[in-house]
Amino acid sequence: MNGILRYSVGFFILIVLQLLIFNNIEFSGYINPYIYVMFILILPVAIPSWVLLLLSFMTGFVIDLFSGTMGVHAFATVMAGFVRPWALSLNISAEAAEPEMSPSSYRNGLRWFLIYTIAVVMVHHLALFFVEHFSFRSFGHTLLRVILSTAATTFFIVLFDFIRSRR
Amino acid sequence: MRSLLNFLLRYKTLILFLILEAVALVMISSSHNYHQTVLYGAARNISGFFARGLEKSTSYFRLRQVNDELVAENLELKRRLEAAASVPKETFVEVSDTVSGINYTYLNARVINNSVNKQKNFFTLDMGSRHGVSNGMGVASQAGVVGVVVGVSRNYSVAMSLLNTEFRLSASIARNDYFGSLAWDGLNYRYARLSEIPHHVAANEGDTIVTSGYSEIFPAGIMVGVLSGEQRRGGDFVTLKVLLSADFKKLTNVYLIGNLTKDERNNLETGVVR
Repeated sequence: MNGILRYSVGFFILIVLQLLIFNNIEFSGYINPYIYVMFILILPVAIPSWVLLLLSFMTGFVIDLFSGTMGVHAFATVMAGFVRPWALSLNISAEAAEPEMSPSSYRNGLRWFLIYTIAVVMVHHLALFFVEHFSFRSFGHTLLRVILSTAATTFFIVLFDFIRSRR
Repeated sequence: MRSLLNFLLRYKTLILFLILEAVALVMISSSHNYHQTVLYGAARNISGFFARGLEKSTSYFRLRQVNDELVAENLELKRRLEAAASVPKETFVEVSDTVSGINYTYLNARVINNSVNKQKNFFTLDMGSRHGVSNGMGVASQAGVVGVVVGVSRNYSVAMSLLNTEFRLSASIARNDYFGSLAWDGLNYRYARLSEIPHHVAANEGDTIVTSGYSEIFPAGIMVGVLSGEQRRGGDFVTLKVLLSADFKKLTNVYLIGNLTKDERNNLETGVVR
């Protein structure tokens, strides 16, 4: 119960940060951090995959609702939720994998968390930017947006994870 | 039956994934009328409320720029007033009908939420149906055309930005009146493309592009931008690159332009052109 409350608060904070602050950030039209993906990243390791997918969809849907981009974020977050189990298993050490644990750099090491975050965020941003653009015209331009934004999003997520762990 | 159930259980994650992605895709493809959905209307009122709060606290830092714009505009209006006063009167009858001869009405609104970084950009205005805003009104800043209203709630309205790949504007070269279709290509927020200009038309760098007045949304002669000189030839027409005069990264005060005789014109046009 306590866990559900904690994740709900985290969800609320991330959505508000995204809508009020990060949606207003962009540098030179290339970098748009979407830090709300962090919610999908920090859900417990042992969460059933169907719950993960439904929560991912809900996250994207809420963002869509408030930024007027019906379905675009939902599509990207479901994609992220789908690849998360695979990204988790990339190189997680067996003794660290407690089922209730939330993935973090504090417990799993910065290097692992970085790879895990980049993998999921990259998939999310690829889906998001290409669906938003809805064509493969100016492919290079969109790809550059994906790569730069992934770097920015990853930076902020690692930063927030650091703050989260210090508490 | 049993094997089907086994199959479903085994691939339940994949199946759920495909279903959710399908739902998302249906939502995306039907997003053309999402402005009408009740759900979105409610969300817009909430996000409009927050955006207005945020805008209130940040608008303070732009006061100087807003002031400069207003002074420039005042000057321009004074010049026009002068020009209008010096036109000799041609009629002897005094007309007391204040609506006679007026085709467009203007409302002054404030941008409270805006983006330039997406492919389909929209911005939110702090005026809604309560203030007389309706769908299809044009939006221009002091510098030039910026969008058209596509969704209205009681207190807010959402306009499709010129920086939206679905936006089309009938625009013409001011010097020779040749008109074409202006659209954003989704790349740089400072530039748009004016297409369907015939080959023989002389178009030089720096030529002014204004609205053509052929659509019922904008009156003729509103500033859009200037030609950057870059052009692409292909087929029967030339596509010209236009440096937009409105800077979408600092939109603050805008004008809503309503066409009073829009219905009359529409009725006539649909009545004749079947």
